[in-house]
Amino acid sequence: MVVVMKEGASDPQVEAVIAHLVELGMDVHRSTGASRIVLGVVGGGTVDPRLIELMDGVHEVLRITQPYKLASRTFQKEDTIITIGDLRIGGDEVIVIAGPCSAESEAQVHATAAAVKRAGAKILRGGAFKPRSSPYSFQGMGEQGLQLLREGATAHDLKLVTEVMDASQIEVIGKYADIYQVGARNMQNFTLLRELGRTRKPILLKRGIAATMEEWLLSAEYILSGGNKDVILCERGIRTFETFTRNTLDLSAIPIIKELSHLPIFVDPSHGMGRRDKVAPMARAAVAAGADGLIIEVHNDPDRALSDGAQSMFPAQFDRLMAELRIIAPAIGRSICLEPVARRGWAR
Amino acid sequence: MAAELNLEALREEIDKIDEVIVRLLDSRARCAYAIGRLKHELGKPIYEPQREKDVIAHVRQVNEALGGPLDGEVIARFYERIMDEMRRIQRIEAEKNAGS
Repeated sequence: MVVVMKEGASDPQVEAVIAHLVELGMDVHRSTGASRIVLGVVGGGTVDPRLIELMDGVHEVLRITQPYKLASRTFQKEDTIITIGDLRIGGDEVIVIAGPCSAESEAQVHATAAAVKRAGAKILRGGAFKPRSSPYSFQGMGEQGLQLLREGATAHDLKLVTEVMDASQIEVIGKYADIYQVGARNMQNFTLLRELGRTRKPILLKRGIAATMEEWLLSAEYILSGGNKDVILCERGIRTFETFTRNTLDLSAIPIIKELSHLPIFVDPSHGMGRRDKVAPMARAAVAAGADGLIIEVHNDPDRALSDGAQSMFPAQFDRLMAELRIIAPAIGRSICLEPVARRGWAR
Repeated sequence: MAAELNLEALREEIDKIDEVIVRLLDSRARCAYAIGRLKHELGKPIYEPQREKDVIAHVRQVNEALGGPLDGEVIARFYERIMDEMRRIQRIEAEKNAGS
């Protein structure tokens, strides 16, 4: 922490700040400049920068360490690689998650799963609990939806990610899903995050619509500090003044998170844009910017989807997008979905 | 050639001076350490701003009498660094005593 004193701060003011910091067990390095005094503060004590900023004669307090530890790149230099069976998330391969907003019927889940698998997705997405459901009552398709999603995923050799809305759903979802998704609105539901920290399944943690990178990483810290090391961060758009798109997809999160953290970062262009015709360009940009994966809404018949139809891609659009991503990924030293390429006998 | 020899000689001189400086800092730290223990016994705080001011005023005076290339501000900044470290020594000592 660096404490910058006001120009012309008096000796007693400077001394009071130093005395307070020393009392808190910190080491203070006083630097007297031509017009200002700057105090470098290091040590193991805990200091609330806001309280120091309120002291007389203090101009500003700059924090130099991050409040999160386990999630930080300083704590772990190497990228976290999450393994689910033969799937490696956070490695060289860009992993694509695709599927419907929610499970609607057996036919819909199977048709969509087959289509996304064919295109090269590795993980099926789909909701069984509607976002507005009460945490204690099952709405949408509930557990039946989870069953359909699991069957669809297994039948097409896909892993499954689905959203957990409340701690009471952790157990039942855990029976079916490979990855728990925490939605944007739950990013700061700390009791849910704490409970998920006790599980040993990977967590896809979406960024809150008004969350800073720091708040997002602090939410990851809640899960990590519970002992669950497998957190995937997912950018899905933030609230800005722009109304043309549903949210503003903040692709700058990718290189920033890569610098601040060792956790894999995914991008959800479907929720960020809210319109299917804008999904592909942002998906391409996300891969080019270094995202470890994408989560994309695909529906076998979007126009008849019960939710999020406007942002769900047609299978043919998704297929084309995947083909484009296969050209983009190698340009930055990544691969994407090797298997279908080999199966189709395309040049490698 | 002569310039190179001179540079070499001056660097040797600096190495010797550094040895003296480190020995003196060592002696100063031992004193500060002993003072830390006494402060602890007497229940006095580690940070005594008036004492730090006096120390800086004293060394500025000594420096002024020498009339060399260092001005008072430079000496004050050196001494801020030295006293930061001495305070740290006293803090560590105080924490040890508090733990026992």
